[in-house]
Amino acid sequence: MSNSVRTIRYLSLIAAALLLALAAASSAQDWIRTGTGLGVERVRLAAADFKTSNADPKNGELLKTFNDVLWNDLDNAGIFDLVSKSFYPLQEPSQPSDVNFTAWNSPPPNASMLAFGNLGVASGKVTVQGWLYDVKNQSSPQVLGKQYTDNATNDAVRVIAHRFADEIIFRLGGGIAGIAESKIYFVSERTGHKEIWMMDYDGANQQQLTHTGGISLSPRISPDSSRLAFSSVTKNGWEIMMYSFDLNRLVSFPRFGGMNLSPSWSPDGKIAFSSSRSGYPNIFVIDGSGGNSHRLTNDQGPDVSPTWNRKTGAQIAFVSGRTGLPQIYTMEADGTNVQRLTDQGYAVSPNWSPNGQFLTFSWMRKYGPGEPGSNDLYLMDIASKQWVQLTHDSGRNDFPCWSPDGRHIIFQSHRSGSDQIWTMLADGTNVKQLTFKGSNTQPNWSWK
Amino acid sequence: MAAITNIYSEHGQLSRPLAWSLGLHLAFAAFVVVYATYIQGFRGQGWGSGGGGEAMGATLVSSVPLPANPTEKTNVVATESKGLTKSEPIIQEVEPEAIPIPDKNVKTKVKPAPVKTDTKRKAKLEPPVTNEVPYGEGGPVSGPYSMTAGSTKGGFGFTGSGGDFGSRFSWYVQGVQRKVTENWLKYEVDPRITDAKRVYLTFDISRDGHPSNVSIEQSSGVPSLDISARRAIERIDTFGTLPPDYSGNKVSVEFWFDYKR
Repeated sequence: MSNSVRTIRYLSLIAAALLLALAAASSAQDWIRTGTGLGVERVRLAAADFKTSNADPKNGELLKTFNDVLWNDLDNAGIFDLVSKSFYPLQEPSQPSDVNFTAWNSPPPNASMLAFGNLGVASGKVTVQGWLYDVKNQSSPQVLGKQYTDNATNDAVRVIAHRFADEIIFRLGGGIAGIAESKIYFVSERTGHKEIWMMDYDGANQQQLTHTGGISLSPRISPDSSRLAFSSVTKNGWEIMMYSFDLNRLVSFPRFGGMNLSPSWSPDGKIAFSSSRSGYPNIFVIDGSGGNSHRLTNDQGPDVSPTWNRKTGAQIAFVSGRTGLPQIYTMEADGTNVQRLTDQGYAVSPNWSPNGQFLTFSWMRKYGPGEPGSNDLYLMDIASKQWVQLTHDSGRNDFPCWSPDGRHIIFQSHRSGSDQIWTMLADGTNVKQLTFKGSNTQPNWSWK
Repeated sequence: MAAITNIYSEHGQLSRPLAWSLGLHLAFAAFVVVYATYIQGFRGQGWGSGGGGEAMGATLVSSVPLPANPTEKTNVVATESKGLTKSEPIIQEVEPEAIPIPDKNVKTKVKPAPVKTDTKRKAKLEPPVTNEVPYGEGGPVSGPYSMTAGSTKGGFGFTGSGGDFGSRFSWYVQGVQRKVTENWLKYEVDPRITDAKRVYLTFDISRDGHPSNVSIEQSSGVPSLDISARRAIERIDTFGTLPPDYSGNKVSVEFWFDYKR
């Protein structure tokens, strides 16, 4: 064979190898092709009751707590279509080997996902194993598998259930963390004084934080949950106060003089608040330690209730009475570009959504003599200024505040005959009452 | 030094086969001519030769027997051939067997029915075999499949290296779909537009779930629709970390938006 033929063959082989390598490189990338209008609905999730993994007598009580908390967390998440337990097969699994796929993925349960597991107490410790299975995908069903160990107490089991629920919500909710471990801070008058209280997101574990013996209002938790700012009456008037969760007590904070109200944390730890130190109430900003104070608004109308854009920290929404009745305004974080969002009625208590897209507030759209407008909650898209009413014909509703996942709104309502804390999904559905004792107002949801 | 071989110098060797081919063709043509002229000519008369030149006689008749009207014997509407679709089977009502009224005067000895003991184990009932492919199985879908939901249309399909991301992690794909749909604000589209062509976007999802490299692959022709689709992706911070079992560092997504007001 001649050299030229051999050369041609070598070149052909090299070219073929290069083509194969290119083809392999281009196909190493996984592709998803999908689109809108596919009728994607909520995930149909079945949450089988966990079983006991041993015969310890303490199992029963803890198991009931775990199953109840897990079910409520998943039900409250707002992203699942929870399959009713009456549709479940008789044999509920406690281990992956027990899962009968056909029984779960076909009617009546017709579930897409199945949460199951077991709980056992041994030597004063409780161990929980939990799984999440994609029961319509028998070849690769496991989405999640977790094991938790803690002291065998009801509180510890509640926390474990919250964590497992949050894991499921995180996986199936598009990477947004669940809120089962978040906290709510509020003002309660149940002791005879308006003090700051806190509770779990579902209303459990209510406990008093401050004991000022006076009036404390507007609790606002810091982004890292280490401090709580609020306004309280002191001998010098209304001042911003600070509670430390590291020290579990009030810590000193600068006094500004005048009336200082409604503090609000920015994502990077600055505080905006309303202060009348120089005459009319205007919006001021200080850093987290109370220093570096500077003024943002400068007009005669009272400017109160500032709230930061929780995503960017670049804008502040606030309430101003500069044109008469209070209306919602926005401005840049340096006080420029003031824009009015509402054009009528009586609008107060703005709160910015975690994604920075929406503002929720309380609005009496028809206000004045002969116009018995109701005090309802509204949602406004900042960019388009389109709004939607969230509450209807249900008493006075005020102080809405977003949950960290942006799917829920907590608020104060008088619909039950007294002021209580309520929660709902951000579309106004699934309304639930969280507090029942005394008068409870001005809720504030933690950042995470 | 080895002699250089010219690989194009072998054309002279075709002359012999060509000569054979020409000779055989000529022989075949000669055979056809000989067969037609001689062998076929010995078989009776040629075509159209007639039977001689005799005169034709005609007789008058009173009536001409005309043929009867044709009657259709086959039903053109319902034929007996089996179609692709079957009609609903007729369920024949079975009358219950009449229970004889016992005659008191006749004594009948009732024999106990023999009890059959099935010693053989009953065969386990197997569910009928269907050709349905269970959810998440069946390998890569060649797609896109399309469907109609309400006034909007859409479709889906997964491809790739083995195409196993979509089948293994369909829950993740559905999460992507849900999240983009939630973040698509249709009011951003020009209100005068009632219908538009599908707009295709591509983007990558990194391991931490962050979307990047958003680009319009095929425009709808409506700028406001293209922009709203692009914003829907850009509005999303994360789709959630890619499944831990997935070994790749990113997933590419082709997402389409169908707009109909």
